[in-house]
Amino acid sequence: MSETIRISIDGKVMAAQPGDSILQTRLHGPDAVTANIGCMGQGVCGSCRCLVRKAGERDTVSRLACETVVEDGMQVSFIDYYQPDHVHHYRPHDLRDGWQTLPQLQQTFPETAHCRHCGGCDRACPRGIPVQQGIALASRGELPAAAALFDPCIMCNLCTLACPENIRPNHVGLYLRRAQAIQNLRPGELLRRLDQQARGQLAIDTTAYLARSSS
Amino acid sequence: MEKLNQVLLNPAVQVGPDLAAWLHAGGGLGLQAALGAPSAIIRCIADADLRGMGGAGFPAWRKWEATANAVGDCKYVVCNGNEDEPGTFKDRTLLSASPHQVVEGALIAALAVRARCLIFYLNPHQDSSLHTMQQAVSQWQDSPWLDKLSHALGHPLDIKVVASSGRYIGGEETAVVASLEAGFPFPRKKPPFPAEQGINNQPTLINNVETLANVSHILRHGAGWYRALGVGKACGTKLYSLSGDVLRPGLYELPMGSSLQELVFHYGGGMLQGKAFKAVFTGGPSNTLLTARDLDVALDFDSVWLRHSRLGTGAMIVISEGSSIIRKVAEYIDFFAKGSCGQCPSCKCGTFQLARLLDRVDGGRHSPADLDALQHLCQILPGSGRCGLIDGAVTVVKSSLHTFPEEYGLLVQQTA
Amino acid sequence: MNAAIEYQQASQNRASHATPPRRADDLSVAALLAQYHPDHAADASTLLHIGPSRGQPCHPRLAQLLQSNALIDGFDLAGAEQRSTDVLVLGGGGAGAAAALTAARSGAAVMLASKLRLGDSNTVMAEGGIQAALAASDSPQQHFDDAMRGGHHAADPQLLAQLASDAPGVIRWLIELGMHFDLADPLSDGGKLRYKQAGGCSQPRILCYRDYTGLEMMRVLRETVELEPGIQLLNRCPVVELLSHQDGSCAGAVLYDLEYQRFIVVSARQTILATGGCGQLHLQGFPTSNHYGATADGLVLAYRLGAQLRDMDAFQYHPTGVAWPPRLRGGLISEAARSAGALLLNGLGERFVDELAPRDVVTAAMLRECAAGRGIERDGQLGLFLDLRPLCGPGLPTLASQLPALQHLADKCGIDPTRDPLLVYPTLHYQNGGVVIDSQGQSSVPGLLCAGEITGGIHGRNRLMGNALLDILAFGRRAGRQAARQAQAARNKSSLPHLRGGIEHVYRWQRQLALAGLDASQPAPLLYPGQARLTLHRPASARA
Repeated sequence: MSETIRISIDGKVMAAQPGDSILQTRLHGPDAVTANIGCMGQGVCGSCRCLVRKAGERDTVSRLACETVVEDGMQVSFIDYYQPDHVHHYRPHDLRDGWQTLPQLQQTFPETAHCRHCGGCDRACPRGIPVQQGIALASRGELPAAAALFDPCIMCNLCTLACPENIRPNHVGLYLRRAQAIQNLRPGELLRRLDQQARGQLAIDTTAYLARSSS
Repeated sequence: MEKLNQVLLNPAVQVGPDLAAWLHAGGGLGLQAALGAPSAIIRCIADADLRGMGGAGFPAWRKWEATANAVGDCKYVVCNGNEDEPGTFKDRTLLSASPHQVVEGALIAALAVRARCLIFYLNPHQDSSLHTMQQAVSQWQDSPWLDKLSHALGHPLDIKVVASSGRYIGGEETAVVASLEAGFPFPRKKPPFPAEQGINNQPTLINNVETLANVSHILRHGAGWYRALGVGKACGTKLYSLSGDVLRPGLYELPMGSSLQELVFHYGGGMLQGKAFKAVFTGGPSNTLLTARDLDVALDFDSVWLRHSRLGTGAMIVISEGSSIIRKVAEYIDFFAKGSCGQCPSCKCGTFQLARLLDRVDGGRHSPADLDALQHLCQILPGSGRCGLIDGAVTVVKSSLHTFPEEYGLLVQQTA
Repeated sequence: MNAAIEYQQASQNRASHATPPRRADDLSVAALLAQYHPDHAADASTLLHIGPSRGQPCHPRLAQLLQSNALIDGFDLAGAEQRSTDVLVLGGGGAGAAAALTAARSGAAVMLASKLRLGDSNTVMAEGGIQAALAASDSPQQHFDDAMRGGHHAADPQLLAQLASDAPGVIRWLIELGMHFDLADPLSDGGKLRYKQAGGCSQPRILCYRDYTGLEMMRVLRETVELEPGIQLLNRCPVVELLSHQDGSCAGAVLYDLEYQRFIVVSARQTILATGGCGQLHLQGFPTSNHYGATADGLVLAYRLGAQLRDMDAFQYHPTGVAWPPRLRGGLISEAARSAGALLLNGLGERFVDELAPRDVVTAAMLRECAAGRGIERDGQLGLFLDLRPLCGPGLPTLASQLPALQHLADKCGIDPTRDPLLVYPTLHYQNGGVVIDSQGQSSVPGLLCAGEITGGIHGRNRLMGNALLDILAFGRRAGRQAARQAQAARNKSSLPHLRGGIEHVYRWQRQLALAGLDASQPAPLLYPGQARLTLHRPASARA
């Protein structure tokens, strides 16, 4: 473990141990880290998005800092998160009617039809989701297939950032997934349990455990 | 004022779409000369040292020769009139006020490279130029000139006027090709260069409007005449789009190599409200800033290059003391961020982050770490895109950081 | 480090058994916990000297923060931006989102301030699932009984009963917002949910979405909050102090806006703290599975304002944190792995505990193995094996399809789960205690409600798998509803703008610190873990 790696993060050169992630290395820097950080390595919060350029390479790629292992000479710039001015407003109860899902999608996310197939979203996605295909499926009305592609999405918004047509693909995917659950999920045992509770059944005896534990 | 507007903006050639008026003003003589000796055209252009006026300043004859020598049975010539850069407004003026000098130059180019197809690729957001060019081209199509040209070529020449997407990125050479092939102007990797494999893999010559506008004059008056127009080693004239904090902004045609001082203070009438000259954004505006130290620079491609900047399209956006460089840079980076085509996440995300950081600096709510981050982005982004958009964006940011560190508060911190 | 068995040797020991032998339990649960659970270490508890819960036990590191000075003083409020709202929610995890949504739907004007970004929280990291007694064979009563037993009978029975009763309604609410749950049969078309077994439970009761239930939940909640017109969202605005009225009630909070580097004073009729726990304090030197922001901020501020706390010496150390590679140390391996059959093995290749015992028991058993030299050492990291082979047998669905997050983790560790075990070690996971609340989330300070991990009493001294995701929503919604109700009542009483609060309570606190002879030089809340401290930017003129 004596070998030390040097990487530069947002203009600060930092020492790292082999096997460390970019995010871990960043925590050793001189400034308190207050953004682009959340789950610390699980790779689910999507906050630590960054641009990475390896030494001697021409390509600069988007990555999650918590899942990227440092290499000597690596250069890293973090990418801000912020809510864009233009978002697509809808409310969950708008999604109840499955026959309306496609027309509403077109109304809520009209840009979906404008995809010009540049592939930037696919290249930007740290999860390897075929984002562009998802958008193509969605605009064709193949909604379950489109929704399924966005299942592992962590909402890092890199595809939204990468899209030159302002499509916000991850939000389209989430819209479709939500519509699916809202329309289809009616578990019988949940319906019965809620009905029992509405009738005042199944109240909990909060003292019974005392008797049981003393016996 | 005898040096002003000698050729392209000469009042005598501002005849609009009327072909008869153009011919009356001496039009057609260049094409006639070309038809007399088609094989000598490229030589003549080379002798004149005509440069690519779209921004590169690359000797025009090299692309012509490469296209002429490349193998292909359906070569193309494209007149690139996509002009969309902030501060550049020369091509639209030429296209709407004197379209025939552009068409005639393009016809000569088609003859020189033996093209089968000539396309005028024009920005639809400038609708007067698109409309005027359609009128102008149809008059040529009905004239005997085109028969003579077909005869010389040995095959007919197809001429089209096409509206471009109007996006900034659509002016890049490979994006022009992509746009004319498939619709969306996605830049492509080079090589291959369009002169070898362009539209439908055919050799394609792509020249800027201003470049082609000069051609008929050169053929008519000779290379020596053109060379003599310039100052010193520079040849010909240049259209300078002067804007910003000057008294008389506008389009000026001056001898190539006229000084910045002359442009701003003589022709431009000096600084607005007598404020001191601070800097000028040249060409895209994606180049290194020129400052008061550079007022003596000769505005030709080579001289500006020696000052580590570029003449670019000849746009000169002048900034006075009292205007914020950072605000301007932020505005341009925003333009680039919106114009980025999306193919390369590094460009789309990189320009976004540059814009975010500049917005914070401009708003005075940045931390020292934000300035480090800004400088760092300038290191990791160049070269990461397929085209030069990200490089241009970085150049202007880097230059403003280098030239005006005090505006970023960089010097203040060092002394504090 | 204790003596341990070297990784290669341990791997050979494991390979020598076709079926791993299970060593018989030779210690009672009580003795095991007393001897090996970190809560029972000699240096894991002290008594609070000042404040509403003085005399009660508390972990020393936490006590230090609870009994500390404020980050700001009166000057910082001068010239700060002033805002007001009906309900101010502090915290951007599941509890904060649920509280904000419910308050907004109840008609209140809501402001939600988050230290990081909305959703960057422990909620999004939850893997295993959420408990709800839905099966015909199950009942809220059994849910209650299991949790009461799991928490060593230390839970507040009323709160726990509400938790279990609220569960079905919470699941319905989540489905109405668009959250998915795993189905028992993918072809059953939404009719039957899959129930998974949790440690310490009498029957399978965990609902989940793959093994990223929290991600699925949080992405739906975040989208709903972001698109809710009644909620004003302030990302990157940590709370640095609460505001109080003369009568000691809560009057809102002082935020620090990181984007604009300035203070914002928010006057609120009701304030809901949903700031989570304290994993980033690394109590007892343990790694943590918690997200970056878990620094006990809300606890510190609530205590300073006068809110009573309980069980501040009871923490959950999740048995299966990653021990190797060091880069991922402390990261969580869901209990879903053991629920699906994964085994814990010591360096001798033996099983030493029922993998589905309550978490504190499994953790204590693991620490006992390590203390006895039966732990496993790899590259300087100490741990035990989590053997995934039972999940990867022939005829079983692939790990990637069953537990995609676990497969993803194995990939990051460079491990083939069909062959190699993961090296695991307990990781600081959950704060069992916290602010004392009533059934509506009301703390002992009027105007201040709490929801989520910051609260105490719901789970007692140990929490079962799947009850945290339930708790944050059940009590988040209750607190949101109650806050909206109270704000409405206040507005009905007087249409005058509500009074601005101040920080009188801070001065009272400083007197107590001084009189008790406590060190007032270290300010809290910490806001961010790590050595580098955030400098709060102050206009120079205010200091002159």
